[in-house]
Amino acid sequence: LLTTMPSYKLSYFPGRGLGEVSRQLFHLSDTPFEDHRVPMDEWPAYKDSTPFGQMPVLFVDGKPLPQSFAIARFLADQFGFAGKTPFEAAWVDALADQYKDYFAEIRPFLFVVFGFGEGDKEKLKKKVAEPAINKFFGILEKRAKDNGSNGHLVGNSLTWIDLQVSDHIGVLELYLPNAISAYPLVNEIRKKTTTDPKLKEWLDKRPVTPF
Amino acid sequence: HSPLYNLLYSAWLSLVPSFSAMPSYKLTYFPVRARAEVARQLFYLAGVPFEDVRVPHADWPALKPKTPFGQMPLLEVDGKPLPQSYAINRYLAKEFGFAGKSPFEAAWVDAIADQFKDYNIELRPLFLVLMGFAQGDKDQLLKDVGIPARDKFFGILEKLAKDNGNNGHFVGSSLTWADLLIADHVKTVSIHLPSFLDGFPTVLDTVKKIESTPKLKEWIEKRPDTKF
Repeated sequence: LLTTMPSYKLSYFPGRGLGEVSRQLFHLSDTPFEDHRVPMDEWPAYKDSTPFGQMPVLFVDGKPLPQSFAIARFLADQFGFAGKTPFEAAWVDALADQYKDYFAEIRPFLFVVFGFGEGDKEKLKKKVAEPAINKFFGILEKRAKDNGSNGHLVGNSLTWIDLQVSDHIGVLELYLPNAISAYPLVNEIRKKTTTDPKLKEWLDKRPVTPF
Repeated sequence: HSPLYNLLYSAWLSLVPSFSAMPSYKLTYFPVRARAEVARQLFYLAGVPFEDVRVPHADWPALKPKTPFGQMPLLEVDGKPLPQSYAINRYLAKEFGFAGKSPFEAAWVDAIADQFKDYNIELRPLFLVLMGFAQGDKDQLLKDVGIPARDKFFGILEKLAKDNGNNGHFVGSSLTWADLLIADHVKTVSIHLPSFLDGFPTVLDTVKKIESTPKLKEWIEKRPDTKF
């Protein structure tokens, strides 16, 4: 019995944002997919055809699935990047949701440095970005140590939370050089993740976007 | 007994399926429903015993540094900690069979839960005032924050429930933790904003059906009564 691989399409804006981790999972697993990038001016026309009026949306044999973490987890499960046991998978989920909470805290700073609005960058850096980074990356550094300082946040193999954190560090460093200098184990994880040969292949050829 | 008897008995024992001991579970949270209620319901629905630890607010600061993320709820499985309410909910739901019947269905459960999380973030300023945690103009917040957030999210839920055949579930044809999440929220809303969801009859019908699940009904009737 030959089961054919489903056809995959991922619709998102042309940036990395909430779509990049899923794109990376396809590349890491050598799974073909349509990397559908919707320019901002085409989004209003496309919006109503999406389940939640948002992107990213994953299409599996034409069936839509919204919400970036639901998509990333689904693909990670399919391709083997979700941890090796149910408890490990739950820890990947816990770190991902902690990242989501952190991102909500740092968003006002990022909103301004990305150029989406006006604001006092220095004040936001001190009052918003630095406390959020210290709290979250403190958790990650301890987690990396408790996990055996092995270059992964959970277990002993690459998971989608390694990808998410590594991608975000890339964003942070554009606006806050040395953002994670106080978190050497986290930096080791980022280094190990971004030098994975299959991932590096994608990182070297993907479209370059600021976020 | 003869050696032959002992041999046959040992052989028989090795053929009997070994019952692996169920893990011990402990769930630690504040004495409210909020972010721990779905996990509590999953244990009860599955008939799985667990230690339902409710920490008074005054006791929390001493406990906080002992938790992985300085937050609750916290699940402990044979003493091993797991933080973050949705990670806990999903882990238990998968163990006990309340996470959808296929990987794609499980992903849709996740998507609804994450959309609910986004909605809660939007609703937060109104929620804080309603619960008495902050000062503010309730009516202004309702107009500026509550109604837009509600219309966006419950519009999605209304359509999901209809497209799913008004079968008493938001996705698939069996109880999932997304059903429990929404039903508990609707309960809280009904306490504080009685007619807030009247414009979403299929959602309300779905929640009624969810709440009539026998074991869940039992739990709801006997659990500590809290306003959120």
